[in-house]
Amino acid sequence: MDRFEQLREIMALTFDVPPESISAATTRDSLAKWDSLAHLNLMLAIEDGFGVTLTVDEMSEMTSVAAILARVGQG
Amino acid sequence: MSRAEPSPPGLDAALAAPDRAALRAELAPRTPLAPAAVARLTQRLRGFAAPRTPLRLAVLRTYTTELLRPYWIFEALLEGLELELYEAPYGSVWTETDPRAGLAAHRPELTVVCLRWEDLDPRLAAPLQGLAADERRALADAAVAQLSGGLAALRAATPGTIVLTLLPHRFAAELGAYDAMAEHSEAGFRADLKRALAARLRAELPGVYFDDLDALIEQHGRAGLLDRRLWQTSRFPFSTAGAQAVARHLLRYAVLAARGPLKCIALDADNTLWGGVVGEDGPDGLALGPEYPGTVYADFQRRLLALQQRGVLLALCSKNNLDDVRAVLRGHPHQLLREAHFAAMRVNWEPKSANLRALAAELNLGLDAFALVDDSPHERAEVAAALPMVEVVPFPAQLVDLPHCLDELPRLEILALTDEDRRRTALYAGERARQAAAGQAGNVDDWLRSLGMVMTVGADVSRHLARIAQLTQKTNQFNLTTRRYGEDAVRRMLDDPDWLVADFSLADVYGDSGLVGVALVRGVAGAEAEIDTFLMSCRVIGRRAESAFLAWLLERLAARGLRRVEAQYVETAKNALVREFWSAHGFSAVAPGRFSLDLNGDWRAALPAAPIEVRASNGGGDGSL
Repeated sequence: MDRFEQLREIMALTFDVPPESISAATTRDSLAKWDSLAHLNLMLAIEDGFGVTLTVDEMSEMTSVAAILARVGQG
Repeated sequence: MSRAEPSPPGLDAALAAPDRAALRAELAPRTPLAPAAVARLTQRLRGFAAPRTPLRLAVLRTYTTELLRPYWIFEALLEGLELELYEAPYGSVWTETDPRAGLAAHRPELTVVCLRWEDLDPRLAAPLQGLAADERRALADAAVAQLSGGLAALRAATPGTIVLTLLPHRFAAELGAYDAMAEHSEAGFRADLKRALAARLRAELPGVYFDDLDALIEQHGRAGLLDRRLWQTSRFPFSTAGAQAVARHLLRYAVLAARGPLKCIALDADNTLWGGVVGEDGPDGLALGPEYPGTVYADFQRRLLALQQRGVLLALCSKNNLDDVRAVLRGHPHQLLREAHFAAMRVNWEPKSANLRALAAELNLGLDAFALVDDSPHERAEVAAALPMVEVVPFPAQLVDLPHCLDELPRLEILALTDEDRRRTALYAGERARQAAAGQAGNVDDWLRSLGMVMTVGADVSRHLARIAQLTQKTNQFNLTTRRYGEDAVRRMLDDPDWLVADFSLADVYGDSGLVGVALVRGVAGAEAEIDTFLMSCRVIGRRAESAFLAWLLERLAARGLRRVEAQYVETAKNALVREFWSAHGFSAVAPGRFSLDLNGDWRAALPAAPIEVRASNGGGDGSL
């Protein structure tokens, strides 16, 4: 599974939305369920799913699929 | 900082499990789960058809708790509970005592209050060393008084269990290593305040508990339980592992209330209490004592003894020759559990399910109050299939985990520790001697007379509160209405002149049973009373104590001027034993399950005689009856 597919699955589970509703162009502003609480949940899920540790600054910047993939690698 | 945990090996097996019990077993021993794993397991648990018990939980907090939600939901589902969560607005704790606040409408069974130390006093937000000794003492006294005042208001505002927590401090002690030596130790200050608070709650606020989350710091470490990134940016204190641990830990109160306490642990012997097979290896060939793997079994016995001392019964259930097992129990130098520690034994070659049934009958307990620890997967499967109500404990894959295999069972938690709890096994030993005498006596009347029974009755005795509430929660068989009451509810009855809270203890030549019977009567201030609750511990069934107690109770009501007593029999799966109780004691059936007795009539003649001397409890009662 490539990184995007893996991220899509994590996001779908975290936000409780169908995976198809998430694309490479999805941003925090374009997805209603991506609120501040869901964002923290997503960051924690990404840490566990990709085996990375995020800094506070990274967490605040990872507000789009593109920004997340830039951090965890395109794989 | 939270660190990526590899998925535990049991996750795939757990996701494939056919039912909740199997899924739960696959997750033992519990390791932290990644958020995605929790989400998947939650979906899986939701898919099972078995009905779930609703659990209404309220969280009052002065810090962010929203990230706990998935863990509350998951841990509840794992125990068969469907969570209905009310989170009060951030920072709103004591205002929730307002009847118009969300708390009252939610009617929670469990209310968790999440405070920070600085909520007790703003000065606790600064280092403690800045305070003089007398200032600290005054601060602690005032904090305990103010907190118990707030909790009393909360107690009055909501029924159900209330659990207070203090967020573990995020720094190590201010004085560093010297803190342990210091006269004004910070750790000592916090420990003293917690103890003072607990003592206050124990004495004054039934049903309100202080739960020390610092115990989770001991278990997980400060860095393991807390996440400073989430705290500094979002005021959420916990790591993912910490969030799961906190949710699981605090839900124990709800699981215990919903599913009832485990009263007896049935134990296999070979490769469970000791390493090896006594019938083949002999007592001297067993692994038990100061060398590994004997150290592990010695540790497990130590844990079991601690459980026995908190009131859980131990029973031996082993396929063996009795003489071989006895030789270990009596003679092995490192055997910690001796014959006297076991309330009952079944050592034979019968199926374990048959022996568990026999143990339940001998101890007068329901099988759903039993746990089984057995190293054999065949025996565990046989019991799980034949007796699904028995809590079959997953046997650890790693031997070193054996002493901890009971740590995650919420149903072994206790909410009070009474004299009866401490003496429980001895009470059952007395019962065995009594039954042996019954076998030798000519007839039942001779036997009962030979017991020299003395009943001590109490009316509205406040100090019996914890035990009375405990009996309403635990008694199933000799219980006419099976109404469960928390300590707070019993407290209200004690304070209400329209209620009579009656109890009795029973002693005989074989020992004192402690407080074993309760009657809760409503309407005693009027002309007609209703016996809301009438119950008796299974421990004294068959000694006519119920007849003596009822006779005393009716005399008391008649002396008070009451004209009529109403009573009910509410049938459950377990109380068929008392179906005829009211009819056998002169009550007339007036409707299905409803009975009535005219206290102006000749009711005394209808009461069965009981050779029991009845005495009033010393210092009990408020004289209102």
